[in-house]
Amino acid sequence: MYKNLYRPIKAEVLDVITETPSIKTIRFRPQEPMSFKTGQFFEITVPGVGEAPFTPSSRPSIRDVFEVSVMRVGKLTRAVHELKPGDVIGVRGPMGNGYPLDSFRGKELLVMGGGCGFAPLRSLMYSLFDMSGQFKQLYFRGGCKNPSEFLYRREIESWGERKDLNMQLTVDKGDENWKGNVGLVLNILDSVKIDFKTGIVIVCGPPVMMKFGTKKLLEMGFQEENIYLSMEKNMSCGIGKCGHCRIGTYYACKDGPVFTYSKIKNFPEIWD
Amino acid sequence: MNRTFYLSNSDFDQFLVVLSSGYQVYVPVQKDKQRFYKKFTPGEQVSVGEVRTFEPLKAFFTRAREVVAHNFDGNPPHSRQKPIAIIGAKACDLKGFKIQDYVFSGRNGKDTADPLYVSNRRNNLIISSDCTSCLETCFCMALGLMPYPQEAFDINLSPLEKGFLVESLSPKGQSIIEKNLRFFKEALEEHFNQRKSMRAKTAAQVMENLKVNDIPDQGHFEGIIEKNFESEIWKEEAKRCVECGCCTIICPTCHCFLLYDQKNETSMSRLRIWDSCMIKDYAQVAGGGNPRPKLWMRLRNRFEKKFDFFPKVAKVYACTGCGRCITGCPAKIDIRSVLRKLVNSHV
Repeated sequence: MYKNLYRPIKAEVLDVITETPSIKTIRFRPQEPMSFKTGQFFEITVPGVGEAPFTPSSRPSIRDVFEVSVMRVGKLTRAVHELKPGDVIGVRGPMGNGYPLDSFRGKELLVMGGGCGFAPLRSLMYSLFDMSGQFKQLYFRGGCKNPSEFLYRREIESWGERKDLNMQLTVDKGDENWKGNVGLVLNILDSVKIDFKTGIVIVCGPPVMMKFGTKKLLEMGFQEENIYLSMEKNMSCGIGKCGHCRIGTYYACKDGPVFTYSKIKNFPEIWD
Repeated sequence: MNRTFYLSNSDFDQFLVVLSSGYQVYVPVQKDKQRFYKKFTPGEQVSVGEVRTFEPLKAFFTRAREVVAHNFDGNPPHSRQKPIAIIGAKACDLKGFKIQDYVFSGRNGKDTADPLYVSNRRNNLIISSDCTSCLETCFCMALGLMPYPQEAFDINLSPLEKGFLVESLSPKGQSIIEKNLRFFKEALEEHFNQRKSMRAKTAAQVMENLKVNDIPDQGHFEGIIEKNFESEIWKEEAKRCVECGCCTIICPTCHCFLLYDQKNETSMSRLRIWDSCMIKDYAQVAGGGNPRPKLWMRLRNRFEKKFDFFPKVAKVYACTGCGRCITGCPAKIDIRSVLRKLVNSHV
């Protein structure tokens, strides 16, 4: 008997946290054991409304409770925002490949991203913190539109005290209380002092940042095969059958969502 | 080496009655100028030869709309009472199954298997048949096929003057013949001769189609999408498209679907419905980003999937030459002439 891969596993909503005016974090406990590698995603079902893919933002080493941060942009995410503790949701997964963390050992690492991209990157950063001491250097460069849309702001700012992390943050437009950088993430990369020939960079953010970020990273001298991109595509089945998330000869849901730039650079339509 | 038998028309009807006790038997029947599949009832006027049916046969294994999960229940929501037997599948239909199998079967552990497809497909019986004529839109021979099955069937029937020449290919097909040997007689030399001339006649008709319509052979398809990616051909062809999605729904190789959730007061269901890459929101992501906002990009994508993706990942062009998309298109977009333009363009 084959497992029914379309069937969601029941999960209880434990907490709903308002992060920014448009983003909420849902903490949930699945009724069956699940685990994920950072960068993999879950398909989250709001019963009767539908299903959509989300990359967990929680620490992968926590195996009973998971978190996803969801920006309200459509019908399903609106239903997610209306969830209350005690509600039942469905979960399928984990799906996709995740980041090849083991291959990053001993390397210089730059993690850059912004906006909603902080959600998967939060999970990644905790995985990297769990491996502390195994990298030559670890840089984090993050940005978002404005201080009020800064996802996990207090938590991320507290990373500034870590000795194993070189961090800088920026906002496109500041306010009276913002004392940090103002401008695009691309403008705070000059202070990254790593050997671009061998350094690894992980990018996760809105499409425009992925596109121009990759261009800038290539100009800086990063190698195509060392640029890891987390690709956002319309994923329905999550197992490479339904066709929606095709990128060239790959499906983002099963061959990705993490791709090196060298793997997909020759395909059309990758940034849209 | 499996033996070849002769089956008379009257024994064929009896054979179908016997098959019905173990299978849900589906047969092609003629209605006006088209052929359709229908559940077999004794006395049915079965049209085994002729040409492909109107509808694609993928519907036997992935329904256009089916429940794939109910609430949080562990088991797939439905299982068939009896396995199905498909009578009269054509060579093009069998190639369609090959593509669907590539996507859904799990490929012996190399890929994730779709549980519903596998259970629908596993116990079925495919009794294929030779084409005895061809439609104006038939061009299977440009896609490496002949108008008679050569692989991927359990039993094949070659219509003769008063019966069939019967060939089995799989152990399953062989054992069904052995269990019903009273119907299957020794094949004579004249039967083989009849089959030979019938096959030659139909193949000549398809060849004539290729010639008259100037349809290029698949030997010229390599790289036609990459070469023409920025070509004006897509815009010209898409001008007439009305975005109905018929070309993909009716295509035996198209496999895309959408998971769709529904609820009532007491329960919820997840449905799988056929989807079409020609529809605007097919690849659109939350927030509105769309890699293919223009119709001509989606038309190009449809050809890219068939003539670039599939040959690269599965070493097969995902077109059977059945011509269903030509017949179905209200805007008369013709895959044969698009292929001709792509092959002949000098970019």
